[in-house]
Amino acid sequence: MSANSWLATGNFFTKYKQEQRTFLTSLDRSFFTFFLVLLFGWPLLFELSNKYMLVVDNILIAIVAVMGLNLVTGFAGLISIGHAAFVGIGAYTIASFCRTMGDSHIIITHFWPVLIVVSGLVGAVFGAIVGLPALRLKHLYLAIATLSFQMIFEWTIQFMTFFNQGQTIYVGRVFWFTGKVGRKDHYLFWYFVILTIVILLGFGIRNLLKTRYGRSLVAVRDNDRAADAMGMNPGLTKVYAFALAGFFAGIAGALHAYVYRGVGFESFTLHESIGYLAMAIVGGLGTLNGSFWGPVALKFLDLQVETLAETVGQYMPSGMNLATALKPFTFGLVIVLFLIFEPRGIANWWRITKSYTKLWPFRY
Amino acid sequence: MSYFFQIVVSGIVVGSIYALAALGLVLVYKSSRVANFAHGQIIAAGAFITYYLTVSIGVPVFFSFLASMIITFFLAMSVEKIFLRRLIGEPIISVIMVTIGLGSILDGLIYLTPFGSENFSFPVFLPQQPLSLGGVSISWTQLVGVIITFILIGGLSWFFKKSTIGISMRAVSDDQFASMSVGISVPRVFGLAWALAGLSAAAAGCIIGNITGLNFDTLHAFGIVVFPVIILGGLDSILGAVVAGIIIGLIQQFSSGYLDGNWGLSGTGEVMPYIILVVVLFFKPHGLFGIHEIERV
Repeated sequence: MSANSWLATGNFFTKYKQEQRTFLTSLDRSFFTFFLVLLFGWPLLFELSNKYMLVVDNILIAIVAVMGLNLVTGFAGLISIGHAAFVGIGAYTIASFCRTMGDSHIIITHFWPVLIVVSGLVGAVFGAIVGLPALRLKHLYLAIATLSFQMIFEWTIQFMTFFNQGQTIYVGRVFWFTGKVGRKDHYLFWYFVILTIVILLGFGIRNLLKTRYGRSLVAVRDNDRAADAMGMNPGLTKVYAFALAGFFAGIAGALHAYVYRGVGFESFTLHESIGYLAMAIVGGLGTLNGSFWGPVALKFLDLQVETLAETVGQYMPSGMNLATALKPFTFGLVIVLFLIFEPRGIANWWRITKSYTKLWPFRY
Repeated sequence: MSYFFQIVVSGIVVGSIYALAALGLVLVYKSSRVANFAHGQIIAAGAFITYYLTVSIGVPVFFSFLASMIITFFLAMSVEKIFLRRLIGEPIISVIMVTIGLGSILDGLIYLTPFGSENFSFPVFLPQQPLSLGGVSISWTQLVGVIITFILIGGLSWFFKKSTIGISMRAVSDDQFASMSVGISVPRVFGLAWALAGLSAAAAGCIIGNITGLNFDTLHAFGIVVFPVIILGGLDSILGAVVAGIIIGLIQQFSSGYLDGNWGLSGTGEVMPYIILVVVLFFKPHGLFGIHEIERV
C-alpha cells in the first residue's frame, strides 16, 4: 500500500519511524513552510507602529512561557500557580548581570543569546528546587507550594536593595551584526528573535514528546503509581518537569527584560501567574498548539476590552475607571465559560477543523 | 515584657480572624474537595455589604451584620449551584481555575462600585477607650471581634456535632457513596457547605473591616493568606484551622514585632506564613490534624 504523499486518507504506517515523522504528508509540510514564510514576511510588508509591535512581542513571550507551563501542568499534570515567578527569575538573572556589570556591558549587549540561555538554565535550577515538594505532594498541596514560592519571590524582590526593591532596573540596547539596534527597529528586531526562539522551542517540545522523556511526563500525569510500576521514577520525572517549565519561563523572562529594556517587579506578580494558567487552559491543556492559541486569544481579548472600556468610558461618570473593572470581569468570565463549555480549549476547535477539512468534500 | 504580651494579644486577635476566614475554606474542602480561591472576594463582599447597609441605608450595625451574612450565605450557595456543580468529577486544575475565574469576576464587579478603589471605615459603635490589663491594651473592636469569632466557631462545631444536617455533612465528607445510599442528598450538602463558608466569610470580612478599615486589597489578600493556615491545620479539620490560625497569627505578629527593623528586614509578617507553609509542606504535608490519604492504583 503506497500512501499518497500529499493527501492522507488514513494511516498506512508500516514502521514506527513513519509514525514519528514531524510532517505526515507533503501538504502538511508545504502548509507549514508557507505559514513560516508568512510569519517572517509580514512585518516587512506592513509597517506596524511600535505600540502594536510591542503587543505582538508580548504575545510571543507569553507563548514561550505558556509552552513551559503547558509542559508541567498540561503534560505532567502538576499545577503551578507560580509560573510568573519563574519568568521573573529569568528576567532578574539579566537584571543582576546589569546590576553587577553596568547595563551596557559588552556581555549584555553583544552576548545576549548566551545570556538568554543562561537565564533559562537559572530558571531550570529554581524550577527543580521548587519542584522538590512534588516528590511527596500532589494536586492541591503542590499548587499551594508553588503559590508560596510566588509570594516568597515577590517579597524577596521588593525587599532586596540589590534588585532595586522592585523598581525598574534598566537593560542596555543590544547589538546585531548590523550594529546597535536602534529605537525604531527595536521591537521589530525582537519580533524576529522571539519568533525564531518560539519555533525552535516548539520543535523541541514536539520532538521531546516523542521520546521516553516526554512520554514519561504523560505517564506520570495519567497514573503515577502505574508509571512507577512500569519502571519510571515518578518523583524525578516531576522534578524534571518543573525544571523544564523553569527553563522555558527563564527564557521568556530574559526576553521580557530585553524587549522592555528594563525589569520591574510588577510584571511577575501572582496576577500574571494566574494569567499564564488561564492562557494554558483557554488554549488547551496538554496540547502543543494550545500554547499558541491561548496567549493570542487572551492578549487580543485584553486589547479589545481596553478599547471597549475607552469608548464606553466617555459616556460614564468621570472618576470611574471602567478598564480596571472590565478586565478582571471578562478575564474571569472567559475562564469560567471555557472550563464549563470547552474544557479542552481552543486546541479542540483546531482539531475539529482539521478533521473536518481532511475529508472535505466527502463527509459522512 | 509588656511588649511581648502585647504581641501575644495582637497575635491571638489576628490569628482568630485567620481561623474564621480559614473555616470557610475548610468547610468547602471537607465536603466537596474544592479549594476555593475566591474566598477573599467573598470576604470583601460581605464587609462591603455590611458597610453599605449600615452607612447608606442606615440599618443598625448588628442587623446589617446579620443581613450581610444571610446575603453571602445565598450568594455562595448560588455560586456552587451555577458553576461548581457542573464540574463535579472534573480534574482538580479545572476546579481550581473555576474558583480563580469566579474570584476574577467578583473582582470586576467590586471594581465597578466605589468600594474597589477607595478606603472606608466603619462608623464607631463601640467605646473608643482601649481596655487595659496590666500594661497590655486591647481595643473593644478587637475584643468583640475575637468573641464573635469564637461564638461562630463554637456554633459551627456544635452544628456539626449535634444537628442532623451537620452529621449528614460529616457523613458526606467521609464517604459520598455510602451517604448517598442512606438517603443524604450530596448536592444539597455541597450547597450548604458553600453557604456556610459564605456566611463565615462575611463575618470575617466585617470583623476585619472593623479592625483595619475597609480596603479591597487588604480584604481580598485574606483569601490567599489563609492557605498557609489551612495547610498547617490540615485541609479538612476545623480544630486544625483554629489552632493553625492562631499559630500563624502569633508567628506573623512576632516576626513583624521582633524581626522588622533589625538586620534591615521589613515586612517579614507578610512572607512568614509562606515560609512556614514551605517548611510544613516539606516535613508534615498533611498538617497538624489532617488525615493521610491512602492511594491505590
